[in-house]
Amino acid sequence: MKLGLVVDLDTCVGCHGCATACKQWNTSGTIGPLSDENPYGKDPNGAWLNRIRTYEVDDHPNSKTVNMPMSCMHCDNAACVTVCPTGASYKREEDGIVLVDQDKCMGCNLCSWACPYGARELDPHQGTMKKCTLCVDRIYDERLPEDERKPACVMTCPTKSRVFGDFDDPDSEVSKLVRDRAGKQLMPELGYEPVNTYLPPRNKPVVETYEPKSIKATVKGWVNKVIAR
Amino acid sequence: MHPAFSVLVFTVMSGAGYGLITLMILGHLLGVPQLQDSNVLLSGGILGFVLISGGLLSSTLHLANPKNAWRSFSRFKTSWLSREAVFAVLFYPFVLAYLANVWFNGAEVNGAAVVAGYGAAALAMVTLFCTSMIYASLKTIRQWNTSLTPVNYIALGLMSGSLLLAAVQATVAGDLSSVLHNLAIGLVILGAAVKLIYLFWIGKPAGSTINTATGFTQASVRLLDQGHTANGFLNNEFGYTVEANRLMRLRVLMVGIAFVLPFLLLLTSSAGLLALAAILTIIGLLVERWLFFAEARHVVRLFHGDQRV
Amino acid sequence: MTSQANVIPVQSGLPEFEDRANQETKYTTCYMCACRCGIKVTVEDNKVRFIQGNPNHPINKGVLCAKGNSGIMKQYSPAKLSKPLLRKPGTERGAGEFEEISWDQALDMLEKRLRHIRATDPKKLAYFTGRDQMQALTGMWASQFGTINWAAHGGFCSVNMAAGGLYTMGHAFWEFGDPDWDNTKYFMMWGVAEDHSSNPIKLGLKKLKERGAKFVAVNPVRTGYQAIADEWVAIRPGTDAVLALSMVHVLLKNQLVDEEFLIRYTNSPQLVVNTPGQKGDGLFYRGESGEPQVWDLVKEQFVDANLPDINPALFGEFTMPDGTPVRTAMNIMLEKYLDDEYAPENAAKECGVKAEDIERMALEMAHVAFKESITIDVEWTDWAGRKQDKFIGRPVSMHAMRGISAHSNGFQTCRAIHLLQVLLGTIDCPGGHLAKPPFPKHVPPGIKPAKDMAPNTPLKSPPLGFPTCPEDLVINEDGSPKRIDKAYSWDAPISCHGLMHMVISNAVKGDPYEIDTLMLFMANMAWNSSMNTAQTIDMLCEKKDDGEYKIPFIVCSDAFNSEMVAFSDLVLPDTTYLERYDTISMLDRPISEPHAACDSVRIPVIQPDRDVMSWQEVMVEMAGRLGFPAFSTPEGERKYEGYKDFIVNFEKEPGIGFLAGYRGKDGDKSLRGEPNPRQWEAYAENEGFFEMHLDLNQRYMRHANLDYLTLAKEAAWVGSTNQIVIELYSEKLQTFRLAGQGLYDGPMPTEEHHKERLVKYFDPLPFYYMPLEEQRIDRDEYPFHAVNQRPMFMYHSWDSQNAWLRQIMSQNYLFMNRVAGEKMGIEDLSWVWVESHNGKIRVQVKLMEGTNEQTVWTWNAIAKRGGAWGLSDDANEATDGFLMNHLISELLPQKGDKVDRVTNSDPVTGQAAWYDLRVKITPAAPGETGAWPTFSALKPQPNAKPSPDMLSYTSHENVNLKRPMSDILTRGEK
Ligand SMILES: Nc1nc2c(c(=O)[nH]1)N[C@H]1C(S)=C(S)[C@@H](COP(=O)(O)OP(=O)(O)OC[C@H]3O[C@@H](n4cnc5c(=O)[nH]c(N)nc54)[C@H](O)[C@@H]3O)O[C@H]1N2
Ligand SMILES: Nc1nc2c(c(=O)[nH]1)N[C@H]1C(S)=C(S)[C@@H](COP(=O)(O)OP(=O)(O)OC[C@H]3O[C@@H](n4cnc5c(=O)[nH]c(N)nc54)[C@H](O)[C@@H]3O)O[C@H]1N2
Ligand code: SF4
Ligand code: SF4
Ligand code: SF4
Ligand code: SF4
Ligand code: SF4
Ligand SMILES: [Mo]
Repeated sequence: MKLGLVVDLDTCVGCHGCATACKQWNTSGTIGPLSDENPYGKDPNGAWLNRIRTYEVDDHPNSKTVNMPMSCMHCDNAACVTVCPTGASYKREEDGIVLVDQDKCMGCNLCSWACPYGARELDPHQGTMKKCTLCVDRIYDERLPEDERKPACVMTCPTKSRVFGDFDDPDSEVSKLVRDRAGKQLMPELGYEPVNTYLPPRNKPVVETYEPKSIKATVKGWVNKVIAR
Repeated sequence: MHPAFSVLVFTVMSGAGYGLITLMILGHLLGVPQLQDSNVLLSGGILGFVLISGGLLSSTLHLANPKNAWRSFSRFKTSWLSREAVFAVLFYPFVLAYLANVWFNGAEVNGAAVVAGYGAAALAMVTLFCTSMIYASLKTIRQWNTSLTPVNYIALGLMSGSLLLAAVQATVAGDLSSVLHNLAIGLVILGAAVKLIYLFWIGKPAGSTINTATGFTQASVRLLDQGHTANGFLNNEFGYTVEANRLMRLRVLMVGIAFVLPFLLLLTSSAGLLALAAILTIIGLLVERWLFFAEARHVVRLFHGDQRV
Repeated sequence: MTSQANVIPVQSGLPEFEDRANQETKYTTCYMCACRCGIKVTVEDNKVRFIQGNPNHPINKGVLCAKGNSGIMKQYSPAKLSKPLLRKPGTERGAGEFEEISWDQALDMLEKRLRHIRATDPKKLAYFTGRDQMQALTGMWASQFGTINWAAHGGFCSVNMAAGGLYTMGHAFWEFGDPDWDNTKYFMMWGVAEDHSSNPIKLGLKKLKERGAKFVAVNPVRTGYQAIADEWVAIRPGTDAVLALSMVHVLLKNQLVDEEFLIRYTNSPQLVVNTPGQKGDGLFYRGESGEPQVWDLVKEQFVDANLPDINPALFGEFTMPDGTPVRTAMNIMLEKYLDDEYAPENAAKECGVKAEDIERMALEMAHVAFKESITIDVEWTDWAGRKQDKFIGRPVSMHAMRGISAHSNGFQTCRAIHLLQVLLGTIDCPGGHLAKPPFPKHVPPGIKPAKDMAPNTPLKSPPLGFPTCPEDLVINEDGSPKRIDKAYSWDAPISCHGLMHMVISNAVKGDPYEIDTLMLFMANMAWNSSMNTAQTIDMLCEKKDDGEYKIPFIVCSDAFNSEMVAFSDLVLPDTTYLERYDTISMLDRPISEPHAACDSVRIPVIQPDRDVMSWQEVMVEMAGRLGFPAFSTPEGERKYEGYKDFIVNFEKEPGIGFLAGYRGKDGDKSLRGEPNPRQWEAYAENEGFFEMHLDLNQRYMRHANLDYLTLAKEAAWVGSTNQIVIELYSEKLQTFRLAGQGLYDGPMPTEEHHKERLVKYFDPLPFYYMPLEEQRIDRDEYPFHAVNQRPMFMYHSWDSQNAWLRQIMSQNYLFMNRVAGEKMGIEDLSWVWVESHNGKIRVQVKLMEGTNEQTVWTWNAIAKRGGAWGLSDDANEATDGFLMNHLISELLPQKGDKVDRVTNSDPVTGQAAWYDLRVKITPAAPGETGAWPTFSALKPQPNAKPSPDMLSYTSHENVNLKRPMSDILTRGEK
């Protein structure tokens, strides 16, 4: 299995719902707590596993605003794992999820240096590396209803711009979306083979205009029709 | 990249220590006349030992969770940092055996000295190489992801080591060895050359841009909002930015202190000035290492609005 | 609900991550904003583990927004109030010196004060509520108290949308209706950043995008929803009416209107008297018993317009039997909108949208409406009892909000948009704009505002209602206002939601009179909900000569240490939304969806750890203590034990109560039924909400759908099953205009400016006029429009205490178009001065592409006062964030005329004109950085624990997923 997310840039409105859902699930989840420094003071700053950025693409007047959520891509070629000296970082063989064993991390930051996608953040209080777990503690939890065995960010996204699934299965929704919508990887040139895939904005729908028969530029042009009330 | 002081101290000190010990042992074992003096060897050895150990201790200061530092030996299979740790530790029995041998048996070359000495020298170089590979292996930082990085680390480690060695020798023995003197001059020239090549090389534009980072390769892309108003871990770690002018000035300063001044001082033959040259080099290399970090631009910056790295 | 992903096979070998035996899940309703999503909360040890969307809930269907997902940090907030507070005797208001008192003391004190006011002069109590959701209760409480000085936030929020819709078609945008997300093919969104329907809009937009429907966003700024729009129309603020009416022009010119719809469902064939300058001009030609007339094309005579099976002429000029000339309302519309003023070429100059784009969009919508119409084959009965075999849908829909309403021309602009919708026949039809029960109502709803008060006597009608003519105004004989906010006066005759933004200013001036007690619930009037914040703060502290405060006593109910707390004399700490019982009632604005009548409750999921009491309980307690008739037995005893008891047993009329679900002795009746003693339990069992799907035949054309209207009457949503006739032409407005012209048989204004305003702005047909502030300033001196947007992840002021949300944004910037900024030499992130006719502020700029060149904007309510909300004195909100409110005056720009004292509001509805603001921008001097003005930090509450420097929230000890040592030692490169 190769589990990961598809993110639809055509519909993401940048609401940050997935970011805070992730924060609340995971702060009490297996990777948690996710600490926050100066939570009520100057420059509040904590560990997040999912961040939303907004870009403007192209120049006025052709420009477009694009919201881009980013969390760990669970790369196939995850250098964040190979650089880790303690073995805290690892990629699960069974599903490709990249995790950090909190008991083993020494907080050297090297894995975050190796990650091109800014997916790893050091916890300011715990001193260990935090990252997206693909909600491993949800997706396999039998005690959750079947419908809820998916990542917190996916469940909550109000525009359904995040889809979770198995990229190894050609019939999965994620695989189909990637095919149908020409899904893209970010920074493919670095060779990390990120699993998470981004769906580019769709082409705009074309609507025909009504071809009017006659133009009634004045009141006089209108004629009553017999229409029963 | 944010230059962490502990890491700068670590790489410069241990680099100099490994260089010093390697050159010293090799000189001793290969029969350089002025290095057949146990006082010189013990002094150099102890200095190198202190530099290396101090450096390694310093390196643990940047760990956020040092209680797990011991675990860093476990991923020798893939991690250059783990390899560095393993080799750094392996180095100790060899260097200690070598130094004990000198302590008890003097400078005479015997079987134990050969085994321990060559072992220590090899492990010193391997450790230095591993350290450099920690940086060189990162595809995310183009300025590091080059074979120039290990060449730099090793050349500068040997260079600073050679200066220290010459200074120790001159100070302890009272007269300067021309072999060591010439070696130092040669290594300073080599070091400077390597560094200048590196500086020239990193001036070239990189492959990744904000366009490849965001997947919008057909048009200009500008960051509107990074999703949080105060700086976070990524900003602090990777967003380190120094003004171009200041970088230029620091480069000149670095070349001056690390290479040109020591070189000029080396042209005299005074032991005192040699020591000064060595100290200047170390200071210069601290600046060099600072620049190595400050000029390294991680690709995450692209997501935060940099157009290229 | 189908799961989005294939379910992943369960894996063995994973640890049991959490002890579920120790956890409970409970259902309640989110209140991080007024969208009111259903939530499922997992709790352990009285701590929140996880808040998720309830997938069965009609509003959010399982999703949550950023705020809803941060409820943990709201519950955790160090700013929570913990005990009633009394301003320390001898200290100044605003100094924030309080002593803690017991609830008994607090309630006794309040009771004594209120009892005296009620027995002497009830209007001396002004009771205003902010972003609350319990106006049914607070409004009823005020009526029972007997003061007309009550209103909720609607007047400064979006009364223009409510009134614009209710006076046109009986429902509206805002919380009263939704686009038909499932069927619409062309969606136009006007001036919406987030709105109350925040999750439903997002769910809906996704549906549109999946279907390939076209989404057009009319907005000067392109972020959020507009970012995913297929077409972004970068309109110049305040000119939407020009755009809408220009599209109307295009449709009319091309004869592309739904004539059938107009004839059957609107008043456009009705005949309007055409006698300019005479009494009766512009009113309908009415029959003997007052029924409006149309010309029947077949019978060739005037007939009662409301009869079925007649054939009204849509066009034409006629003569009444007495010789009076009349013409159809449609004729007037043609004349008005075919005028060159609204031709795309001219409109383009005003609103900045290209003429060809205006034309194209109008013709695109016509194409979708008329060439891509849809039918739903369901038999239904129309208002006249005639069977119809299908619903015809014209799948064009629209939604609009504060970008329209927060302008002083917003009412007419909103009506202009409705006109466009109606001409296309897209009201309450498949694919169009759908009403949400209990809407639609008759135009307008049949409640008149109360006018008279007497000691110890409830009002005869609610304080707020819907005037239809000058007689309904709440004014004295001499024309002066009776209400403290001057609602329903000549300043703003149909201000159906009051003018909360004027209360403090008026009360301090004693204009129209002084009050004794100002009671505020959930309103941060000392900060972000006031215009002119700095001056409002001064006003709150202003004293009379005798040293007494001009507003002698201020009571505030807040759950948190907001800026308002410091300016109150008595602070009553509320529970949080996770700690209280509450109802989102059908008597208010419930959570209904277009095809289902729904309401919901809040049920505590966390036990408060503080000495707090919900405002609901306080209301019922005070009502009992003061012996309000509706809260007392005939013997004068207290009737209700508390809020829960009240909700179950109170009946507004037989069988109708606050909650519409699970009524009847056994809980099996919906909408109407006797009280059910187990109603709360029934809601709890049903995940906190009640949902009654309408039958297929009741789902569309409800203004004229007998099957629906019968249900609506039974449920007391409407008073009769008569057709709800859409009023494109508003005779009600015309009565006010006639009063302005001096041609009315009834109350008429005496002041010249009132006359002018009535004549000009009470046009019975929607039209464009320049926003009032713009009319009164030098437009060249203040070249930029300045507006706000709501961030999707912050609710007004109350989320800066949220440790997670404030990380997303703790400073706001002034956004400016890059080209405009660069022209002025303004660089990204530089500091500038922004100056309006009312004041100036210093702010930091960000340049961007997606902003109209004449507009600057910022995120709303990010700035905070240090010390408030548990924030440190140097929090970014306090040092770098800014409020635009300082620039906005509650009065119109001063010119030395009578209008100087008139509210900065829509002249029709009194809607606060926040977005009329015009500013000039100048670069700050080098070294001038940081926001200005800044305010001294507020004091912490007594006994407050300091806010922590580090936070590691978790509801249990985290269970790590361990990597086996053998794996660490043996695994190689991939
Ligand atoms: N997250 C969140 N949700 C909220 C709130 C909140 O504070 N936070 N507040 C709630 C409340 S009380 C309200 S009233 C609603 C308001 O919800 P919205 O109506 O979405 O309110 P605003 O954010 O004021 O958005 C106004 C939009 O209109 C645009 N605009 C400004 N002037 C014009 C104009 O002249 N023409 C056009 N076409 N557009 C214009 C602005 O750029 C902005 O995008 O939101 C509610 N929902
Ligand atoms: N410049 C500018 N100003 C604006 C607007 C704008 O667009 N631009 N928008 C205006 C609009 S539309 C609105 S609706 C107003 C909103 O203005 P307000 O109604 O004042 O809204 P809030 O800031 O949300 O907060 C009201 C208070 O409610 C308190 N509160 C929160 N939860 C609870 C609770 O559970 N119980 C109690 N008792 N209190 C609670 C908060 O602590 C806060 O003090 O702002 C207006 N102000
Ligand atoms: S929740 Fe969905 S729409 Fe919101 S930011 Fe995340 S991906 Fe985008
Ligand atoms: S995104 Fe970064 S952290 Fe995640 S697998 Fe790839 S390299 Fe590792
Ligand atoms: S920070 Fe932790 S997980 Fe990352 S490389 Fe270092 S030890 Fe491994
Ligand atoms: S999958 Fe889970 S951990 Fe990863 S971003 Fe989504 S919520 Fe966060
Ligand atoms: S939109 Fe968000 S904050 Fe508002 S009620 Fe829904 S989940 Fe709560
Ligand atoms: Mo509002």
